[in-house]
Formats: sequence, structure tokens, C-alpha cells
Amino acid sequence: MDQTFLGGVFSETLEGGRAGADVELLPAGIGARTPDGETFVIPYRDCQVEMGGYNGRMVFCRNADRSLTIFCDAPKFPKALSLAAAGTLDDQLAIGHKKRRGESRRAFLFGTICLTAILLFIVAGYFGIRFGARSAVLALPVSIDAQIGDAAMESMDLGGPKVRDDVVVGAMQSIVDRIAPAAAVEGIDFRVHVVESAQINAFALPGGNMVVYTGLIQNASSPEQIAGVLSHEMAHATLRHGIQRIGQSLGIWAGISLLVGDVSGLTGAAVDLMQVASVNSYSRTHENEADAEGVRMLHAAEIDPSAMADFFEHLEEEEGDVPGIFAWISTHPDHASRIASVRAQLAGLPPVQYRPIDIDWGEVRKRIDKNIDTSIDNSDVPEKN
Amino acid sequence: MQTEIRDRPSFANIRVRLEPGDEIVAEADAMASMSSSIEMKTQWSGGFVNGVLKRLFGGESMFVNTFSTQTGGEIVLTQPFPGDIQCLELNGNSMFLQPGAFIACEPGVKLGLGWAGWKMFVAREGLFRLKVSGKGRVWFGAYGGIFQREIDSEYIVDSGHLVAYEPTVGVQIALAGGIFSSFFSGEGFVTRVNGPGRIYMQSRSFDGLAAWTNAHLY
Repeated sequence: MDQTFLGGVFSETLEGGRAGADVELLPAGIGARTPDGETFVIPYRDCQVEMGGYNGRMVFCRNADRSLTIFCDAPKFPKALSLAAAGTLDDQLAIGHKKRRGESRRAFLFGTICLTAILLFIVAGYFGIRFGARSAVLALPVSIDAQIGDAAMESMDLGGPKVRDDVVVGAMQSIVDRIAPAAAVEGIDFRVHVVESAQINAFALPGGNMVVYTGLIQNASSPEQIAGVLSHEMAHATLRHGIQRIGQSLGIWAGISLLVGDVSGLTGAAVDLMQVASVNSYSRTHENEADAEGVRMLHAAEIDPSAMADFFEHLEEEEGDVPGIFAWISTHPDHASRIASVRAQLAGLPPVQYRPIDIDWGEVRKRIDKNIDTSIDNSDVPEKN
Repeated sequence: MQTEIRDRPSFANIRVRLEPGDEIVAEADAMASMSSSIEMKTQWSGGFVNGVLKRLFGGESMFVNTFSTQTGGEIVLTQPFPGDIQCLELNGNSMFLQPGAFIACEPGVKLGLGWAGWKMFVAREGLFRLKVSGKGRVWFGAYGGIFQREIDSEYIVDSGHLVAYEPTVGVQIALAGGIFSSFFSGEGFVTRVNGPGRIYMQSRSFDGLAAWTNAHLY
């Protein structure tokens, strides 16, 4: 029964109070021999057994006045000790085992509770941000939209020089002015900027700044088609989609910062996000909402909304020839289903006598095609009107 | 071999006087200066697999350098961050070190890597820990001052402050107080250590430094 295990000993007689030791189960008791050759023995009858250590499996054998402790964490040690002591230490070993099991159960429970709490926090945070951001943002006054939109407009690269031709800009402004009274939100001042670029694109920033690219005007066959795209973009502004996106993105940042415990980076992140989020594509839900709201506004303004669907179809046909410049389409995916849902909405509208848009369409097209080079202005300062 | 820890506690460094035939094993990059009579030999830290594991999980480098001399000489060893250095005499017993704490040891000391467990990860002490065992002196460093405590019953250390502890010490993770005070007192999780055994703590924590730095970036 003279097995040797790797262990150690605590004793005041040792230098530093401790040493590693070979632990032996001798007939007289538990023995320990240090590398320096010092030996210690605790008789089995005086031995007090406890369990603990870094893994909870370490057996501590202490003498009566606790001045000497021999310890060992070899997996076979408890059983060998029980046999060597002829069962006299079994009760203490059993208590140690029971205590360890209880502790590991408690640790498991604690870990599970912590994990569940963290998961719940993440899930709740996600939904809180998704739905909380919308209502929180919609509770803000509309003037905030204008402040953010103006700031973004000033710092943004529009992708081309601004067109200053009064006929062209005036025509676009008059389309927007005709739709504007039908807007669901009051207090948005829609201002149109025309930018010379082959992109077939238009967008609205929060607060009413709108940008129309000359490529869009060149590709439209009637002012009603332009009105279709513009009403969609105006709907993004009136439904405050841009600002909702900023709110969501910031909400996620705020959530992360809360978890990480540092909110100082929030300001920097907000500035970056504002520019990206205000221009980048909107979510599918937002697109569908903007389509429906655009059609509603056109109808209320007595402009034929079917032109919107016509223009989508026209773009879909042409897209195959020249991809890349169809930016408006590329940020607005899945147009087949959009055309279908716009048509379905049209069918359900009450009949109204549509009035044509009162602009000189021929002159606008002519000026865009021919005189564009002489009428542009390279100034980057946004015009206020 | 004579050694002396100088410039304590803020910028501690170890000056080692090697006699002919003496050797000292040091963490890669720990050498600050040495006599030209000292030779350096680079080895995998405990073999290739162990070396890679130590690099990946133990916060230590893949290699250790062994310094020796034929004629005698002096070498100065240091650590990357400001703080104290502690010398530990092992006599067949072992000690766990937090990742990155190890600086140098005598050739009789064995360096191993052990799984510390998820609870230590939660306590910001790393998934793995270095285990030093054998016979000889070990030098390890800490951020800030080092203080030790002989514990026999329970003691509480904030997470990130535990630098070294003996295998006889049980470590449990617990909340500092109730749910509310734990998260709003800034203490969060704490480490409950159970004796018998000795623990070494550092008077600053890297997490504290990181949070403080972060807060001053903008």
C-alpha cells in the first residue's frame, strides 16, 4: 500500500512555509517527503480531511493543531487514503465530496442564470432598439430632421456639379411644390437641387433637401414619371426614414457601449453614422412604405400615380443595357414585386380627375440635353430658396 | 548567481550577476541590457506545441531565451509595463501565474500551461494560466505594486487584480454584492479565493487602465 503521489506540504518549520512533496500512505499515517529530504507524518487518527483547491478536488490532511497540512490533488488519492486509513476517514471524505458537489451545483446554477440573463438582455436590447428607436425618433420635433439634413447636405459629395438653370430647377421645384401639400407631416420645407450626373437617381435627406440627377430627367418620358420618383423620395422624408435609421444605428452603438461600459466614443460614431445612414439605402420595409405613401401623395395631388409604375418598368427594361448608372434601381431592389404592389394599390384608389403637371417638359429636356455645359455652376454651397 | 530587483515598485527590473556556468531563462524580449560575455540561446518555450499554446493562450511568447556565460557577466531583465517585480522561491511546489506575468526563472523551474476554465475567463484572468513548478527561483511582474496575502479562509479580490496563486487556493467567481450594487458600484464580478495558500495581487488592473484610456480618447 506504499503508493506515492505528487503533492505538497504546508508547515511553519519549512522555509517559506511550504514545499512540494511526495505524498506517501504509510502504515503509521500520511507521510510527505520534500525535495530537501525533510519528512512529515500525520497519523490517520489525528487527520482532519478537507477538500478544496483550484479544482475543488484537492485533499487537505491536517494535524490536530492545524500546524501541518499535507495536500494532494491526484485523482486516485482519495480512494487510496480511504483504504489506507481502513475506512476511518470515510465520513470526512464523504462530507468533502458532498460539499464539492454542492458547490459545483451552485456554480452551475450561477453560470446558467448569468448566461440566461445576458441572452435575455441581448434579445431585449435588439427588439428594444428596433421598435424603441422608431417611436423615440418619431417623438422628436421635425426641426431636428432639417438640422441633420442641412448638415449632411453641406458636407456631402453630390457626385457632380449643381445645375443653376432656372427653368430646369424651377420645373423640378414646381413638381415638388404640387405634391408637398399632400405630405403627411407639416413643417418640412422641400428644396430641390439638380445635379449634373449620368446617374439615374434622386434622393431626399431628412428635413426636405432633395437631390435630382440630370440622368433621371433624361430617362423619364413625362413629368409624371419624375413626380413618381420624387413622391417616393419625399415620402422617405415625411415618414422620417433617414432619421429612424440613424436612431437605430445609434441605438445599437449605445447598447454596445452600455455592455462594454464606455460611452465616450458615442459622439464620434454618431457623426460618422449620420452621413452614411442618411444617404445609404433604406430597408425593404421603408421602401415599401415610401412607395405606398408616394402613391397616396400623388393621388392626393391629382397627379397620375400609374406613371410611377411605368417608370419602374422602363428602368427595369433599360437596366440590362447599361448597369451601374442605375443607382436608384440598385438601392431599390426587387422592383418586379414593387411594380406589382404599386399597381395593386392603384387599382384600389377612388377615381379622381388627374390634372397634368404644368411645366414646359420639352424645354426642360432641351436645356438638359444641349445647354447643360454653359448653365452649370461649380459652387458647392447649397442654394437656399 | 546573485540577483537584485531595482527601481521598485514603479519601474522594477532585475539585475542578474551570472557566475561562470550559471544560467537564467527569460521571457523573449525581457532582456534590457547585458555584458558582451553573456551568450543567448533561443528555444521553444517548453517545446513547439507548448510554445504555440503559450503564445496563443498564455499571453507569453513562443520562445524563451536562455542566458549563460563562460566568464561571468551581468544582465538586466525587465517587463513591458510599469510595475513591481516579485521573486518567488519554489521548492517542489507550484504556482499559477496570470497570462503575461512571467519574466524569468532558474533552469530547474518547469513552465507549463493549464486550462483555467470559463470562470477565470469571466473574472478577466484569461482562459489559460501559466503553471510554474519545480525547484528554483521565478520572477514575475505585475502592473502597479505587488502585495501578497496568506489566506486560510475566504478572501475577496476584484477581477483583474489576481496575479498569482497557489494550486491549493480555490477560486470562485461571484457578484460583488446584490445585482444592483454589483453593476452600479463598478465592481461587477469579484473573485472569491479560499485558502489555505498564498495569493499575489497587483495594485492596478489592466482593465482599469484600458477603460481610463478609452474614456480620454475623444
